[in-house]
Amino acid sequence: MSDEALVLLSESFAFLIILFVLYRYVWPILSRMATKRQDEVQQQVDDSEAAARNLEQARSSLESALAEARGEVARIRDGARADAERLREELREQADREVERIRQRGEEQLVAARDQTVRQVRAEIGGLLMQLAERIIVESLSDDERKAATVDHFLDELDQMVNPGTDRDHEREFAPAGAGDEARA
Amino acid sequence: MTNDAAGSAAVLAAEEITPGEHWTGEFLGFTMNIDTIIATAIAGAIVCGLGLYMARGVTRGRPTTLQLVFEALTGWVQGQVRDGMGLRAPRGVVSLGVTLFAFILICNLLAALPSEHVLPPPTADVNLAYPMMLLVIIWVQVAGIRARGAKKHFGHLTEPYAFLAPSEIITQYFARPVSLSLRLWGNIFAGGIMVSIIALLPAYILWAPNAAWKLFDIFIGVIQALIFTLLTVIYFSEAVGSDEEAATH
Repeated sequence: MSDEALVLLSESFAFLIILFVLYRYVWPILSRMATKRQDEVQQQVDDSEAAARNLEQARSSLESALAEARGEVARIRDGARADAERLREELREQADREVERIRQRGEEQLVAARDQTVRQVRAEIGGLLMQLAERIIVESLSDDERKAATVDHFLDELDQMVNPGTDRDHEREFAPAGAGDEARA
Repeated sequence: MTNDAAGSAAVLAAEEITPGEHWTGEFLGFTMNIDTIIATAIAGAIVCGLGLYMARGVTRGRPTTLQLVFEALTGWVQGQVRDGMGLRAPRGVVSLGVTLFAFILICNLLAALPSEHVLPPPTADVNLAYPMMLLVIIWVQVAGIRARGAKKHFGHLTEPYAFLAPSEIITQYFARPVSLSLRLWGNIFAGGIMVSIIALLPAYILWAPNAAWKLFDIFIGVIQALIFTLLTVIYFSEAVGSDEEAATH
């Protein structure tokens, strides 16, 4: 074996020793440091993931609470609206009933007043007929012309008393009664 | 392109083990140290490969050991840059620092392999150390001019005393570049010489001092990468100026 090859062999052996020394004494130190750092990083990553999870959880619970609150608000609002609607409906029905009642009573009153008026008029006409009859009897003694005039006059009076506004009779039911009262007064 | 130091070292070394002597080749009239080029390419490939491999395995969760190593390195460089320059740090300084450290470290660690006689660490060749130094020095000048303007950047040489400007110029443009490159080269090259001297021992015994020395050489390799990177950041800090300095001027 040449000198050169022997030197190379010896140096290769030295290299193995170097590797052994590095592996035995240097690598553990570096490895420990690396493991420590890796654990730190892993810890940080875990922490950050846990924090992210917590955040996500909090956000979702917040959102569900918000949705719940919104649903509650909507429900309350719908309920209030329904209540208001119902109340309004009730009040309207009540008012309608009241109006109907008042109108009916007014009509009844009107009928009663009319009946009374008719009765009064009849009584009055009866009286007036008696008067007319008296006048005719008295004046029949004079002449026929005046007799006719008296009858006409009487009829006019009667007409005016019963129907002061002939045209409005059918439109305003109160008018004849009022007019009748006035005429009577 | 062998140099005097390498020449004298070759005299010391055994015939078959010759640090400072390179396989050379001619290209466009230049003599190329082929072993240095190959070793540089290998170191570069290792750095890029490790980086890509690390990037592929990057996770948000438990980081791989390799990712931790890169994170530690980047964090350290970032800390240095922040302490030195704060927000005035030019773009790319952190990347430059990280790359320099990783590349120089891998180059230096090639010295630990038993293949050192065939493929010496590229940093043991001034032809790698000088370009890296030039890159840093020129980049520093550009960053300084960009940050403070050419007038202020060069005017800084006369402060605080104008009569000290010559010494300042020597420091800035001669001593620093030379020390930056030759410190790295010298440490790694000396390691090669030591290995060559140890190789003069009988083969049955040389493994023990060889292993001991190479373990120490690994330590030196880490320290040198650290120093080169640290000095780079410091030079940048000096050229660009810190935030406080910018605020008070």
